[in-house]
Amino acid sequence: MAQPLVKKDDDRDDEAEYSPFLGIEKGAVLQEARVFNDPQLDPRRCSQVITKLLYLLNQGETFTKIEATEVFFAVTKLFQSRDIGLRRMVYLMIKELSPSADEVIIVTSSLMKDMTSKTDMYRANAIRVLCRITDGTLLTQIERYLKQAIVDKNPVVASAALVSGIHLLETTPEIVKRWSNEVQEAVQSRAALVQFHALALLHQIRQNDRLAVSKLVTSLTRGTVRSPLAQCLLIRYTTQVIREAATTQTGDRPFYDFLESCLRHKAEMVIFEAARAITELNGVTNRELTPAITVLQLFLSSSKPVLRFAAVRTLNKVAMTHPMAVTNCNIDMESLISDQNRSIATLAITTLLKTGNESSVDRLMKQITNFMSDIADEFKIVVVEAIRSLCLKFPLKYRSLMNFLSNILREEGGFEYKKAIVDSIVILIRDIPDAKENGLLHLCEFIEDCEFTYLSTQILHFLGTEGPKTSDPSKYIRYIYNRVHLENATVRAAAVSTLAKFGAMVDALKPRVFVLLRRCLYDGDDEASLFFINLLLMYKSKFSIVRDRATLYLNTVGSDGEVIETDKVVKDFLFGSLDIPLANIETSLKNYEPAEQPFDINSVPKEVKTQPLAEKKAPGKKPAGLGAPPSGPPSTVDAYEKLLSSIPEFSDFGKLFKSSAPVELTEAETEYAVNVVKHIFDRHVVFQYNCTNTIPEQLLENVTVIVDASEAEEFAEVASKPLRSLPYDSPGQIFGAFEKPEGVPAVGKFSNMLRFIVKEVDPTTGDVEDDGVEDEYQLEDLEVVAADYVMKVGVSNFRNAWESIGPDFERVDEYGLGPRESLAEAVSAVISLLGMQPCEGTEVVANNSRSHTCLLSGVFIGNVKVLVRLQFGIDGPKEVAMKLAVRSEDDNVSDMIHEIVASG
Amino acid sequence: MILAVLFANSEGNILVERFNGVPAEERLHWRSFLVKLGADNLKGVKNEELLVASHKSVYIVYTVLGDVSIFVVGKDEYDELALAEVIFAITSAVKDACGKIPTERLFLDKYGKICLCLDEIVWKGLLENTEKDRIRRLVRLKPPNEF
Repeated sequence: MAQPLVKKDDDRDDEAEYSPFLGIEKGAVLQEARVFNDPQLDPRRCSQVITKLLYLLNQGETFTKIEATEVFFAVTKLFQSRDIGLRRMVYLMIKELSPSADEVIIVTSSLMKDMTSKTDMYRANAIRVLCRITDGTLLTQIERYLKQAIVDKNPVVASAALVSGIHLLETTPEIVKRWSNEVQEAVQSRAALVQFHALALLHQIRQNDRLAVSKLVTSLTRGTVRSPLAQCLLIRYTTQVIREAATTQTGDRPFYDFLESCLRHKAEMVIFEAARAITELNGVTNRELTPAITVLQLFLSSSKPVLRFAAVRTLNKVAMTHPMAVTNCNIDMESLISDQNRSIATLAITTLLKTGNESSVDRLMKQITNFMSDIADEFKIVVVEAIRSLCLKFPLKYRSLMNFLSNILREEGGFEYKKAIVDSIVILIRDIPDAKENGLLHLCEFIEDCEFTYLSTQILHFLGTEGPKTSDPSKYIRYIYNRVHLENATVRAAAVSTLAKFGAMVDALKPRVFVLLRRCLYDGDDEASLFFINLLLMYKSKFSIVRDRATLYLNTVGSDGEVIETDKVVKDFLFGSLDIPLANIETSLKNYEPAEQPFDINSVPKEVKTQPLAEKKAPGKKPAGLGAPPSGPPSTVDAYEKLLSSIPEFSDFGKLFKSSAPVELTEAETEYAVNVVKHIFDRHVVFQYNCTNTIPEQLLENVTVIVDASEAEEFAEVASKPLRSLPYDSPGQIFGAFEKPEGVPAVGKFSNMLRFIVKEVDPTTGDVEDDGVEDEYQLEDLEVVAADYVMKVGVSNFRNAWESIGPDFERVDEYGLGPRESLAEAVSAVISLLGMQPCEGTEVVANNSRSHTCLLSGVFIGNVKVLVRLQFGIDGPKEVAMKLAVRSEDDNVSDMIHEIVASG
Repeated sequence: MILAVLFANSEGNILVERFNGVPAEERLHWRSFLVKLGADNLKGVKNEELLVASHKSVYIVYTVLGDVSIFVVGKDEYDELALAEVIFAITSAVKDACGKIPTERLFLDKYGKICLCLDEIVWKGLLENTEKDRIRRLVRLKPPNEF
């Protein structure tokens, strides 16, 4: 039960003990609400009860439907009271209760009476309540009053009507749009807030009419806007007009002078809005930027954190596109590194890292070092990423930046933070040759005391690749061998692999590595049994087989410890990059049952699996959280292989080279849904038509696809497999097989017709009529294109793969792709034309970039590796030019790739 | 849109929470996020000194007033500057309603009045009134002075 209200509030002890709502309980308050029904209303007591009800609602308490209705009806009784304070509470309470449509009727008459009352404040509040609880039908009744209210002399009434209009625009736009004359008048109001609300509403009413918005902006930028809030809105609408006009007009930017004049406004928010608008103009020039940057610079030293934050946030964005324009603010920004507010400090640092010049790097690093110790991991990650970009920008400064990274690597931190640092060091080692040895040593020191198995194995793997190529590989051995003794099995296994790599690649170290590997034979871990899991281990497996691995490597390195010529195949297999997708090898290993026959790595499909169409239809399944691992792709290739090999007609076609993603042959939501999967073999192509009957009243029988291959001259039909019956909603498959010349990427167009006997079904009983009618259904055409003969197979390191194929069969040529919407569109068109796997994320084109390099890899039919390097450039009128370089193991294939592009 | 206005006491208990356009299932998450944000950063902060944070396109401006922490969350046009305006209106109205910097007890004593002030300042996610004198008159159903 609530304590009695205590008026005296100068004694803090008392205050701490009593809360007016101490022990408040919903049931009791609802009981108290009965006072609303008293014939003699006590306004003060009623207000107190309403306060308690509000407190309950604000605490997240909910009322049941019955409770809410009861309270609502009781509250409506309070309209009888003439007490002003209570009336104000009643308005609020009705809004909070949001009565349902059938209850609203009880209060509408009272509210409509208030809306036409002589007391202005009754009018304003009644409008707000009515608009909150009303629906379209009631609105037409009160529309006349609302229109009057918009131009009411009392600004509170006008604002109430205008803000109601903004809300009502969402539900009943057609009515609100009829008020535009009144709203237009209100825009000229002398009351600042009315002008603000009117401008917002007017813009929303006219937002789809470009000309009207442009006129509105033109007239207001010439006139006077009283409210700073309205001025901010005007600036936003102006930038919208500028953005839309920019594509058609040339010469001076319209309205720039207006924006620039706003920089001298007396209200900070207007200055700020204008500065931000200028920095966000498309293709802004340095001359246009300068005044905006100057005012933002002043805000950097403001005493108000919000202004500092806003300024540094905007400058941070500017620094991404115009770093030089921001350099003048560097001194002010440096003082923000020690800002109390960590968000401001982090933004300042990342901006400085973008704008700083080579000479200031060392000073900056010193300042950041102090700062790093007292910020949270998520901020630290942002800083680490900024430092990485800085280092790539100023490679000569790698020493101090690398030192910084290694220092913070030694300090406390969570996995994500440590991973960001390790990733950065790895990238720097790859891109800055001078930084390699230094960086590798930092990583070695880190794994001496690293609590994250994932990072240790990654680093060991990386050491195995890069370490042997350094001037003195022997200095890393100690760190690696320590891992064999001191770590868990996963790390030990990774360390053994790394040791073996050193042994195999550095002849001088071979005898000594051999001794170490022999010691590993005494490792106690003998859990696993499959040899190929070794390979997985390098990356991710939980199992480990340290001892087996040591044995294997001993055999490879040479059993007598001397330098011997190891078979190239074995070496490639052990130390070359794994060109099989890990998910595929994992599936194959799981399916493999220990038997006489050894596991054959060549039987693992190399295709990067795409998600089949059926899977995509399950919408709305969001990942459980950020940390949730993406689910592995389903094994469609295996499924297809099994399916095809089970059909006797196709059993002698040999090994399946590739299966395409399903191509839809019908539009969505037609009677029969058909898609086709193209299966490519060396001398054959099989079309798998997946059919679904979507009509419950029909059963289809003897379903075939009649294929016309007259536009596919090189193909000859050899077999087809019809479907005996196709009931409702139970998909079935029809197959058609064609022969084609061996090893030739023959292309052609096939037209398809679905032919079947349709029988009527009674959906309630499932009874089928005996007699059926023959019918046909036209499907879309199907094409076999060159990309069908290329398999998406990624490579882990494109540059290495490119070098190892060599320039023997390299073919280079240039192409004009004509006018294109954007560079990104041109890049994705070429990728899909070639059907190859983009590498190293090069399929993504940065915004506004004028040139782009895209790397693709794949395997051509006949198992020929092929790599493609595409260089794109775009000029003013969106003309895209492309340079295409192909390397492959066969000159015919290189030529073929060029033919695909030339004919596409 | 002003997504949320939230008042908490110094122990992180909610005194007032008003959400606009935030689905019911996300409210609990927001509440605990804001309370934690306050616990991490508001210690030793002076009355009415504004702190600011942002997450993707959502901005948060928060402050402390006596025993009460105040958080305002907004997106789109309600960025940190607009929210600073909102929170300034809120703090001055609360001070006005309480007559001084509020203790938790005083805040709860004036709870009804504060709810009315909030109703005048933020209406369904939009800023409506900003001046404390005007708000003081409006909650008493008096027309504003300038009229």
